[in-house]
Amino acid sequence: MTTKQIIGVFDDESVLLKATQKLKKNGVNIQGIYGPSADHDLIKKLTRESRLPYLSVVTGVITIILTFAFVYYVSVIDYPLHYGGKPVFSFPPMVVILFLVCILITGAFTTFSFLTSEKMFPGKSADVVDPRALDDRFYLVLDRNFNPDEIVKWLQDSGAEEIIEKENENQA
Amino acid sequence: MINNKLRYALVKGDKTYGQITDELLVNVEQKPPLWWFVGMTIGTVLLAIGGWAFYMSLSQGLGTWGLTNSVAWGWDIINFVWWIGIGHAGTAFTIFFLVFRQKWAGSINRAAEAMTVFAVMCAGLFPLIHMGRPWLAFFILPYPNTRLLWLNFNSPLFWDVLAISTYLITSIMLWYMGMVPDLATIAQRTKNKVGKFLYGMFSLGWNGSLYTYSRYETLMKILGGIAAPLVISVHTIVALDFAVSVLPGWHATILPPYFFVGAIFSGFAMVLTLMILFRKAFNLYDYVTEKHLDNIAHVLKYGSLIIGLAYITELFIAWYSGVDYEIYTFFRARATGSFSVAFWIMVVFNAVIPQLFWFKKARKNLVILFIVSIIINIGMWFERYIIMVSSLAQDFLPSSWTDYSPTMVDVGIYLGTFGLFTCGMLMFVRYIPIVAVNEVKPIARAEKLRKQKEKDHDH
Repeated sequence: MTTKQIIGVFDDESVLLKATQKLKKNGVNIQGIYGPSADHDLIKKLTRESRLPYLSVVTGVITIILTFAFVYYVSVIDYPLHYGGKPVFSFPPMVVILFLVCILITGAFTTFSFLTSEKMFPGKSADVVDPRALDDRFYLVLDRNFNPDEIVKWLQDSGAEEIIEKENENQA
Repeated sequence: MINNKLRYALVKGDKTYGQITDELLVNVEQKPPLWWFVGMTIGTVLLAIGGWAFYMSLSQGLGTWGLTNSVAWGWDIINFVWWIGIGHAGTAFTIFFLVFRQKWAGSINRAAEAMTVFAVMCAGLFPLIHMGRPWLAFFILPYPNTRLLWLNFNSPLFWDVLAISTYLITSIMLWYMGMVPDLATIAQRTKNKVGKFLYGMFSLGWNGSLYTYSRYETLMKILGGIAAPLVISVHTIVALDFAVSVLPGWHATILPPYFFVGAIFSGFAMVLTLMILFRKAFNLYDYVTEKHLDNIAHVLKYGSLIIGLAYITELFIAWYSGVDYEIYTFFRARATGSFSVAFWIMVVFNAVIPQLFWFKKARKNLVILFIVSIIINIGMWFERYIIMVSSLAQDFLPSSWTDYSPTMVDVGIYLGTFGLFTCGMLMFVRYIPIVAVNEVKPIARAEKLRKQKEKDHDH
């Protein structure tokens, strides 16, 4: 299926924000918003909150439990060696180890999850709307199948710098 | 939101996003200047000296070092602790930026993170070489081996391995994930085919989607948040290597916080040195402003106060404990004895000279800033020297007292790490934007909006 798109080009975040909110309210299907940077305001108002933090917490807890089990197994069950009369199991050094392993695994796993959920990997060719989307312009990609004339009018009204109509085969 | 008119600008001038991209990618897109090649040559020569020293250590053994039976930790561990200390500032800056939302750290954290990564790499080399047989370094990993042995999890030396590798890996993740959007920008702009391929490959298919940004922002916050305690833990654990022993001068509960503050102190000093050089070399005056340098100077000033307090506390506790050995180490060996020169260099360089930063004139003067930042790192090196050598060389038994002096091989390895650091940083300034482009853009915009608001307010 060929996708028909209307792309609004903006040069300011607040104009983009207003336009997007207006189009959303009118039920236009927004396929993507691309830009060189994203300020917190824009992210907060236009996207769903990420669930990565929950994943991190769960990863951290599981890591702590597994690491504890491992260290306990090693130093108490499998290899209970006495160093200078100290107890084979002591909690204080455990704290250090659990803390560090938890940070390492949680950090790595969260990064990995982010890359997986965004389907990013080394060598992936970037589907960039326009090189300027990574430089100084914001691109609002809309579905053309719905009432194109009105969309164009709305975009013009809300201050889009340029409006591109595309009938391309690959989705941006 | 604070709308204080007296606040300095964090990004100077009304810049459009396009302008910011152009100005910050200068170091990547233009041919490197002459001094870059000169620096690279010096770095390579130093690296070659390090290579020679490394070869000597391996082929002839650690007998080529200045270590003795008493001073079993010499230059290697001094320099290890010194480099680790320097490596602290990068992540500290990232946390200032991501967790405490200190916007001024936004244009420094990339360079500071790079410094961290290379400094920790330099640091990691020392214990590795000190093992004597670096190819058996994997023995320190807890894995079910053929010798049926497990590690001693109660050993601070094992914690150290864990702490430093965790720190290195987390720092690299923070640094790399932070630069992915910038790499994508470069990949779009560059005309060079090889460059396009490599930058494109490492940008992981970043396309600037807002939805990706949303998750990305969360990811960076999580990474920053979990790296925050790491900044404290790494040097604390390094300090525990010493503090759990029974040697006078090492066996003290103040050591972990003392090491931590020292690390932040020397790390910030190194950041200051580098930022002064970078902003001059790449014309970053609009992004790394006087305000940034001023803030770092403030941190150094307070760091210096805390360090000074730690020195005094150590002396006081030594006297108050009434232990003869402690009193000897602190008052004879360090303050008045054979290590007094190093001791007073340490005190003056770390606790006294940075107090200059109470004066605005000193904070505004780049020459003073630069010199003091270097003085601090020399002072911090002497601090590690004092801790390491004075305690070991003159311990409990006067019959085992020795002198310590490094050999050419010791010095060679140290110079080699300077080579590694120099080359690493030069490669960084050649191929990666020094200031995080995608992070500075929102800051510049906020600055613009603030100015506009003030203007409207005045009318």
